[in-house]
Amino acid sequence: MKQTLMLLLFSLLNFGSLAIYAQIEDQCLTCHEAIGDKAAELYKTDIHFVKNISCTACHGGNNQLDDMEAAMSKKEGFKGVPKGDEISERCSSCHSKSEVMKKYNSNLPTDQIELIQNSVHWQKSISGNSNILQCINCHNAHGIVPVSNPASPVYSLNIPATCSKCHSNAIYMRSYNPSMPIDQYQKYLTSIHGMKNRKGDVKAADCSDCHGSHDIRNSHDVKSKVYPINIPKTCSECHSNHEYMSSYNIPTDQFAKYSKSVHGVALLEKNDLSAPACNSCHGNHAAVPPGVQSISKVCGTCHVLNAELFAGSPHKKVFDEKNYPECETCHKNHEIVTATNDLIGVEKGSACSKCHDELSNVEGYKSARTMKQLIDSLDTRIAFAKKLVEDAEQKGMEISEAKFKLRDAAQSKQEARTVIHSFNLDKFNEVVKGKGLTTTSLIIVEARESIDDYYFRRYGLAVSVFIITGLAITIFLYIRKIEKS
Amino acid sequence: MKLNWEKFYGWIDERLQLQDLVNFMGKKYVPVHRHSIWYYFGGVTLFLFIIQVLTGILLLFYYKGSADLAFESIQFIMSKVQFGWLIRSIHTWSANLFILSAFIHMFSVYFEKSYRKPREMTWVTGMLMLFLGLGFGFSGYLLPWNELAFFATKVGSDIIGAVPLVGEELKIFMRGGEDVTGATLSRMFGFHIALFPALFSILLVIHLLIVQRQGISQPLHLESEAENEIKKMPFFPNFFLRDLLLWLLVLNILSILAVFFPSELGHKADPFASAPEGIKPEWYFLFMFQTLKYFPAHIWFVEGEIVGIILFGFAGILWLLVPFWDRKSSIGKKNRMINYIGIFAVMFIIVLTILGWIS
Repeated sequence: MKQTLMLLLFSLLNFGSLAIYAQIEDQCLTCHEAIGDKAAELYKTDIHFVKNISCTACHGGNNQLDDMEAAMSKKEGFKGVPKGDEISERCSSCHSKSEVMKKYNSNLPTDQIELIQNSVHWQKSISGNSNILQCINCHNAHGIVPVSNPASPVYSLNIPATCSKCHSNAIYMRSYNPSMPIDQYQKYLTSIHGMKNRKGDVKAADCSDCHGSHDIRNSHDVKSKVYPINIPKTCSECHSNHEYMSSYNIPTDQFAKYSKSVHGVALLEKNDLSAPACNSCHGNHAAVPPGVQSISKVCGTCHVLNAELFAGSPHKKVFDEKNYPECETCHKNHEIVTATNDLIGVEKGSACSKCHDELSNVEGYKSARTMKQLIDSLDTRIAFAKKLVEDAEQKGMEISEAKFKLRDAAQSKQEARTVIHSFNLDKFNEVVKGKGLTTTSLIIVEARESIDDYYFRRYGLAVSVFIITGLAITIFLYIRKIEKS
Repeated sequence: MKLNWEKFYGWIDERLQLQDLVNFMGKKYVPVHRHSIWYYFGGVTLFLFIIQVLTGILLLFYYKGSADLAFESIQFIMSKVQFGWLIRSIHTWSANLFILSAFIHMFSVYFEKSYRKPREMTWVTGMLMLFLGLGFGFSGYLLPWNELAFFATKVGSDIIGAVPLVGEELKIFMRGGEDVTGATLSRMFGFHIALFPALFSILLVIHLLIVQRQGISQPLHLESEAENEIKKMPFFPNFFLRDLLLWLLVLNILSILAVFFPSELGHKADPFASAPEGIKPEWYFLFMFQTLKYFPAHIWFVEGEIVGIILFGFAGILWLLVPFWDRKSSIGKKNRMINYIGIFAVMFIIVLTILGWIS
């Protein structure tokens, strides 16, 4: 305690002496304060003031001269108020140089200007005279305080409001991108992140956590942190950090599970941009976990038919009553793997068997068992038909029509896997038997005919070679006979 | 049975005087010597041509010569038409054997110098038929309208387009436009089943008439021998039956090839698809295709490919006109240079074909 008090006293004395020194020496401040200049007032709270960096660092001139005209003369290098890109240039004249920054014991990075130059904000503004964004738009011009200071516009709790100054301004935004939404801030306030941010939780994600700070890129830019392929990794920066998330009491294995899921593999390994990333189910600016009863609607944005069939199925009512999370009940959430036939049926481990057993739910149990038998038999028949077609093809037979029908059979199987969400045995039967098994039977017949034809050709060849050779021998003998005579 | 045949023959003979023809053929003799085997390749080539015509007519019953239907019609022939696969496979294989047999026949005539006076026209008509045979191959290759055929025709017609002065016009004429399209298919179909067969038939009739009129050529070394010392066999029935025997053997080979290696169809041509790797022409164009690859991009100020085409064109004309510049053979003298050129040509074709095949 004693040590802390000593340290505080020392710090106050130290900063106080610096401030007094700046006041005494800096004639700019003396005059501008005297005339009630608001900039001068703000400057006194500025980190640069604390670090004894005078007005001349940005504006030029000589702060030692008390003659205003001499101090602000061209001879003394007075530059006045920087405009447009000059602003960022002035900032970067120190902030991009590590040797300068070291003088002030700063551990700030020195690549901000480099990063912002690659960002979406470093484009010509509508006036064409300068780039859209300058440092002061986010950090203020006078009264700049460290990011960690709650008074800073880029302090975590202030960032959403700072960004929204432009991004929620319809008139301003339509000048640049009329199709871009302007409700991000409103949505953010309804999100878990936004609500926690409003409550003063600096750990909750703000705009910069997902979009970056100086290097914000267009979401269509493959290098953007919110480009579809990069979103899971961006979210996982916090959500996979066990220590960081410990106070929220939620799991941190979502990314690990998602990466192994059918969606994760499609997006992260196959670079399939149509595959869902975190925001596809949770929303982006209004990110919240979907409610139990809305899961099928969320999944249904892509899996339309499955969702429709499920909504009309007897399961919908029961799931709602029992508060089961719809699709998630059978398919899980983050680690959704490719559905196999084993998902249905009454065997141990199947999804149906979780609720349906032979004694308590006889009808459902029977249906589940029959559906499994049907889809298994379709699988077996398709595999058999495929093998026969391959065999015929390998024998050099023209079997393209049967090969084409194999696609129909595969399509029937796909249809059956969709129809199963109606949990209606008759409808399922119609697809599996009516389409799938009928088609495979046709394929099997055609393939067998082709294979039979293959052997018929060989037997036919043997017969014809025998006849032709016999004829040739007869001619040969006849030639010998006539030539002898 | 014998009586019935005699009655039937008598009935025909009474009307067509067949016996005169038999007597005429019976008086024709074929020289017998150590190179007599080569005489049979003319007959084999004719036999394969007849098979081509017959199977071609059968294919025509189902083939549809348009870009939309050609591939599907061949698919139908191969899978639905009774013995369609056999007819198409025999047509394809006999086309290849026809070209091979024609080449063997041509080189045997060349090395025996059978083109010498007075058989210059037999040689010229034969050579023109060989060129037409190559034309048959090129035009027929596109007809299934599959991927390989499409791109091979594109490459082949591009090479023709490089011929100086007339190449571009020739290419457009062949393609029926700037690119290989359905118009090219219709044109090739027309060439394959109408124009080329008509020209070929005229040349064939002339060729056979001259052979009948002048008889079969005998080698130079027999010319010095007295007529009665030369061993001969009657054309009919001895030579004719031997011909028939060989034809039956060729038919056997054809059937085996058709059954064990039936023609493939591949994928339908897609003008917007990229060319599959390793596009090559049919084997009988391979030596020319491979040779053109070895030419540098430029020879002085002329494109290497153009130089190659000019050289092949020049060699072809020289080959066609060999009876007219080989004076020595015409007067019954030995001309070793002709043999050397011939051996070089055979070796060149074989080596370059192998190189083209394995590359």
